[in-house]
Amino acid sequence: MRLTTRAPWRRALVAWGGAAALGLSLALPAAEDAPAVGLPFEEQVQVCGACHGSDGNSQQAGTPSLAGQPELTIVNQMIYFRERLRQNEVMTPQARGLPDGEIQALAAYYHEQPVATPEGDPDPELKALGQELAAQQRCASCHQSDYRGREQMPRLAGQREDYLVAAMIAYRDRTRGGPDTTMIDVMRGVPDEDIEAMAHYLTYLHAEE
Amino acid sequence: MPMLKQHLTTAISLALGTGLTLGLAATAMADEHEPAWAQGRSSELADSPLAPHATPMTVTAEEDIPLDHIRLPDGFSAEIWAHGMPGARMMARGDDGTLFIGTRGIGRVYAVLDNDDGEKREHVIVAEGLTQPNGVAFKDGSLYVAAINRILRYDDIESHLANGGDIPEPEELTEAFGLPDDEHHGWKFLAFGPDGRLYVPVGAPCNGCEVDEDTHATIHSFEPDGSDTRVEARGVRNSVGFDFHPETGELWFTDNNQDWIGEHSPNDELNRLSESGEHFGFPFCHGIGQVDPELGEADACNGYTLPAAVMDPHSAPLGMRFYTGEMFPEEYQNAMFIARRGSWNRTLSVGYDIQVAMISEDGELAGMSPFLVGLLDPRENDFSGRPVDVLQMPDGALLVADEQNGAIYRISYETPDYVEE
Repeated sequence: MRLTTRAPWRRALVAWGGAAALGLSLALPAAEDAPAVGLPFEEQVQVCGACHGSDGNSQQAGTPSLAGQPELTIVNQMIYFRERLRQNEVMTPQARGLPDGEIQALAAYYHEQPVATPEGDPDPELKALGQELAAQQRCASCHQSDYRGREQMPRLAGQREDYLVAAMIAYRDRTRGGPDTTMIDVMRGVPDEDIEAMAHYLTYLHAEE
Repeated sequence: MPMLKQHLTTAISLALGTGLTLGLAATAMADEHEPAWAQGRSSELADSPLAPHATPMTVTAEEDIPLDHIRLPDGFSAEIWAHGMPGARMMARGDDGTLFIGTRGIGRVYAVLDNDDGEKREHVIVAEGLTQPNGVAFKDGSLYVAAINRILRYDDIESHLANGGDIPEPEELTEAFGLPDDEHHGWKFLAFGPDGRLYVPVGAPCNGCEVDEDTHATIHSFEPDGSDTRVEARGVRNSVGFDFHPETGELWFTDNNQDWIGEHSPNDELNRLSESGEHFGFPFCHGIGQVDPELGEADACNGYTLPAAVMDPHSAPLGMRFYTGEMFPEEYQNAMFIARRGSWNRTLSVGYDIQVAMISEDGELAGMSPFLVGLLDPRENDFSGRPVDVLQMPDGALLVADEQNGAIYRISYETPDYVEE
């Protein structure tokens, strides 16, 4: 059930039942809700689309595409941002106060969006090397053999190359906060050039589907 | 829902091919890049579909809570007591009747306010943004919370809740307790003993490895302020639930055994601590005398305490309590109710239930039988709920926390009319 009206933050001292899903809290000081909270769905998609692309295919450097991601991947990361379990200058404030149902609706929408073909052409040598390295790292054991992702494990196929590089480096260097420590273990000590090759492979993998 | 079905056929053929010797067959263990849950997986199983099931972090709508799946012995019935609390795990009850509930992934501690009217039973979030605050315990007006990296104490919490005001910042007891903060098996259960001390387990920081016997794979006890550390139990791989015998005061605890050794071994355990400092065998000896294929010598089980009872391998027994209430039939007096979260590291799922353990006459062993079942559908090899803790209410009813659905069930008993009083 969608709640259409929201009590002011400080007055909402007791959240009943589903109201806790709004992220109300007694323990912590007041925080500003995200701009998308309470907007109609179409306007929420515009807020997200300003960075992630109107169809979920990001045209912005360093910003991931959401198109084709498993729903649980998006839901979990949004909840980590909302609960401030994953700190990110941009996304933590964008998720603050978003109810579960709104997050789930956005996740369902982006999951359905087709993944766009990446710009430019792959470097066959680099791509082959990346494929080999990704196999060695057993990336497919979680992200699926076609790198389409599954449940909380994101789709990598067709993701922006610069984002994949930055994300893998951030896991390796332990600068990407968040409760999921699996990728920190996986990326430990992986050199930059291996990361670049894997990212190249994964980005252009989709182009040949 | 987890995608068990689609992998079932391949997983079964894999299991048949490798049989019971999974761990023995391959010494080539996975490399250092494996995530924590995959530690110890042999190279033959690198493509195994077995992996932990993700816990939902969103509210399960009341109509989707699988109450009608629950099956209980005659005379017992289940109702939804509270819901809407994603990831609800371990429970502790305050003196004024507030139920405090820890979580893992979502980082919250919930409080369900005492209210007999189930339609409007309210809950609030008393803490958030914590790293896996699984453990909760209550003493002398204070709520104790154990997160992976912190121990916190919220004083006079029930009066703050009753006044509807803000909850003051907790006392930070992290340094006083000085516990390790490893992520792997680092989520902690908490309970006060009859001696007034706070008992805290520290799991092994690995699937299987040698550990410092004074720090890891232990159950510690402390004075409530974190002073006077004592190692109560050693060689305990990962206990996430314990309670004290109502008459003897002995500590009984569940223990989760090693993954990837085999689909059908080692058994998970229910243990009894008869003497402070006792060693229960990890990492050399598992279950009832199963020598570890990597670390154990032939006589590895000599000198270690064996379990009081064993449970299905990988079934994940967690929260457990002795029953002392007056509502349930006499046979349940001083029996233990044990919540099993359910397996992931075997092809055919087990657990997802509540077992009841009755103690033998000599007080040393226990016999196990199913109590609450139905959340596991063996035909589909799928599950609809995951019991993680139990708690006895003053009227003798039993609360059950379902982590999968963020719900608390209340189990009550009424003598069936065919039974002569």
